[in-house]
Amino acid sequence: MEVSRRDFLKATAAAAAFAAAGGAVLKPKLAEAAEGGIKWGKAPCRFCGTGCGVLVGVKDGKVVATKGDPAAPVNKGLNCIKGYFLAKILYGKDRLTKPLIRKGNKMVEASWDEAMTLIAGKFKESIEKHGPDSVAIYGSGQWTVFEGYAASKLFKGGIGTNNIEPNARLCMASAVTGFMTTFASDEPMGVYDDLDLGDTYFLWGANMAECHPVLFSRMIDNRLKNPKVKIIDFGTRRTRTSQMADTYIRFNPQTDLALLNAIAHVIVKEKLYDEKFIQSHVVFKKGKTNIGYGLEDKFKFVDEPKPMTFDEYKDFLKTYTPEYASKLSGVPTATIVEMARLYADKNRKVNSLWTMGFNQHTRGTWVNNLVYNVHLLTGKICRPGENPMSLTGQPSACGTAREVGTFTHRLPADMVVTDPEHRAKAEKIWGIPAGKIPAKPTYNATEMFRALDRGDIKVIWTQVTNPFQSLPNLNRYRKGARKGDGRFVIVSDMYPTKSTEVADVILPSASWVEKEGVFGNAERRTQQWFKMVDPPGEAKNDLWQTIELAKRLGHGNLFPYKYVEKEMWEEYRKFGEGQGKDMAPYEAYAKARGLRWPVVNGKETLYRYAEGHDPYVKKGEGIKFYKNKKDGGKAVIWARPYEPAPEVPDKSYPFWLCTGRVLEHWHTGTMTGRVPELKRAYPAAVCEMHPDDAKKLGIKNLQKVKVSSRRGTIILPVDLNGRGKAEKGNIFVAFFDENKLINELCIDAYCPISGEPDYKKCAVKVEKA
Amino acid sequence: MPVSGIVVRCLDGCADAVSARIAAIDGVEVHGVSPDGQIVAVIEADTVQGEVDLVSHLHDVEDVVTVRLAYHNFEDI
Repeated sequence: MEVSRRDFLKATAAAAAFAAAGGAVLKPKLAEAAEGGIKWGKAPCRFCGTGCGVLVGVKDGKVVATKGDPAAPVNKGLNCIKGYFLAKILYGKDRLTKPLIRKGNKMVEASWDEAMTLIAGKFKESIEKHGPDSVAIYGSGQWTVFEGYAASKLFKGGIGTNNIEPNARLCMASAVTGFMTTFASDEPMGVYDDLDLGDTYFLWGANMAECHPVLFSRMIDNRLKNPKVKIIDFGTRRTRTSQMADTYIRFNPQTDLALLNAIAHVIVKEKLYDEKFIQSHVVFKKGKTNIGYGLEDKFKFVDEPKPMTFDEYKDFLKTYTPEYASKLSGVPTATIVEMARLYADKNRKVNSLWTMGFNQHTRGTWVNNLVYNVHLLTGKICRPGENPMSLTGQPSACGTAREVGTFTHRLPADMVVTDPEHRAKAEKIWGIPAGKIPAKPTYNATEMFRALDRGDIKVIWTQVTNPFQSLPNLNRYRKGARKGDGRFVIVSDMYPTKSTEVADVILPSASWVEKEGVFGNAERRTQQWFKMVDPPGEAKNDLWQTIELAKRLGHGNLFPYKYVEKEMWEEYRKFGEGQGKDMAPYEAYAKARGLRWPVVNGKETLYRYAEGHDPYVKKGEGIKFYKNKKDGGKAVIWARPYEPAPEVPDKSYPFWLCTGRVLEHWHTGTMTGRVPELKRAYPAAVCEMHPDDAKKLGIKNLQKVKVSSRRGTIILPVDLNGRGKAEKGNIFVAFFDENKLINELCIDAYCPISGEPDYKKCAVKVEKA
Repeated sequence: MPVSGIVVRCLDGCADAVSARIAAIDGVEVHGVSPDGQIVAVIEADTVQGEVDLVSHLHDVEDVVTVRLAYHNFEDI
């Protein structure tokens, strides 16, 4: 019988699926035949912060197949539905392949030399006339480590400005400040293994089933094997995650602050805390209150931490009775008590997981602090199977934005520009004159685009991100970019976006396996890949683009490498050596399916701060938060109060608006929504609304409505039966759709400590369109 | 025409019922069930987007918990 090539392929697909499901490999010979001519290489997935391993199949210079990498510990051979988009991102029909320069209202093709000469000229002119703080670069948690490192080195160490920010400011900056204020070291103590080893999972405003499906599957697989496993979903919107959870607890937006304090209240009142752990490992502090919302341009805030005793902390908690929190949050008193007891249950291994619900919050740092409080009170931390874990949304939010430190205030390995010793260390490694790196941070992301609008920043270069769709209060910043008067916007991307629309120069970028790279995922896993195919046309690596600008500005000496990636890596890892942020030599990553830092003597670290796991913890110390030297190696429990959101629903704008992601799209949809006429599964953004609210307004399912805030208006259909279900008084709109710019409605208020805006709460009205 | 191999996890004890439900969908071929009750299927559609639509639809089939992608070949597109 003749077996067609199609049958071969199907057998191959089935065999890979059987292998990943833990079954026997089916018809291996057929599978081998089908794979003839395909060469496989490893890479982390291009999409979210989970960092799944992908095997990429190349034939005749093109990517033709992908597989979940069976050797990858993160995903063990299985990818989520976004795995399908890996095929599409590289080969969309409208890939940018040539530099484009604005001539009036037209974008005209140009050579690289022409484009780079123009860009360098604009940089030089602006720096001469207005100083180095008039130029800026805005990158991303999708920058490879090299791209972020080169940008930081050029801007901070070459041009001499701290005008560098990543879009990660909009995404996990509150997680960073949460970690820094509680543990004095960024990133989690635990790892994904906790999803297999724990038995109690509290999700806070995280729709893991749609946004981190592979991690969610690990947790569900754990529950299928262990009937003790409980998943509790605290949310303001009913999602696919809520459906799968054992308990869904609806709360009013912003009241997570009160709920976590009430949980701590019950734990303290019922003496469910771990006294010994607290004595050995915890100090108590309070900071400023009524800290503002960053709504005014050039908003500044500096916290003033003050020590307090455990008794004073107990006094602070007295306000947060379950009754008080219940009134604010709408969660029944008995549920709050029950959840506190569950958190403290000595026979349970408890984990908390969160993402944007906590981070995109005008009190984002506080709410991160508050969840750590509960884990520190109960001592459920730094142990296999019980940890708080902050998830991330971008593939290298951790690796690049956080570890390389591409924020205005940061340097690599958690160092900051405000510390003279940190600057001196960076200047030494970079081989630049002492005093070159400015001591003052300039703008967080929102303030950076406010500065462009005001004209304080003239030249801005964005790479691997789409700020002119993703910023809150978008109208102001889109208009600001096109105000003229010397403003010059450069956008590097692989596709036309809402940001290329406002650009003066568009540079075509290489993506993913069209270049060599390193990403760092949410569990401290650093993953490397090699270039596998050429980018289309004249598209080029962003790393090359940045170094090309450096050369033209006279800073080429900062990048004296032959094998750029390898030598840059070896330089970069000097920052973390001996600091608990150790990375392995470059070759180690070429072989491994990622390694979790600190990597000391070739060995990765699963549980930080824990004896027997973390090489920095000495024998007999048990647990030591050694990075927090100023508090004697202890972590901080913070007294952080409930404070309301800056804009709450009222008579004129009676609904809360929450924005977010859906399973089939990623962020602003520039990679997942490539074939517009075929966007069937989730073709356009809809307004999720509670049926009772719709009924009151006389709105039927799929009817068009006008949603307005004080900042903008959009028209879109209502969805009453969607996968996500809005609670009464709330609506939800996803932000992927470039034809429905929901972020025009969002308020540009941010957490004063982290600078991260709140995309989850503002007041809107809904009318029939 | 792209081809993909997927793994469907369903509620405990539902593998047979879910297999039947998803096998009835055009473009989905069930190839078997793993020892721990995960369904292995092959997806075929005219375009990658068509595959995404099918898998998206599978997420909404009764008793389906998760759908994951093991292998994707798109050399013919």
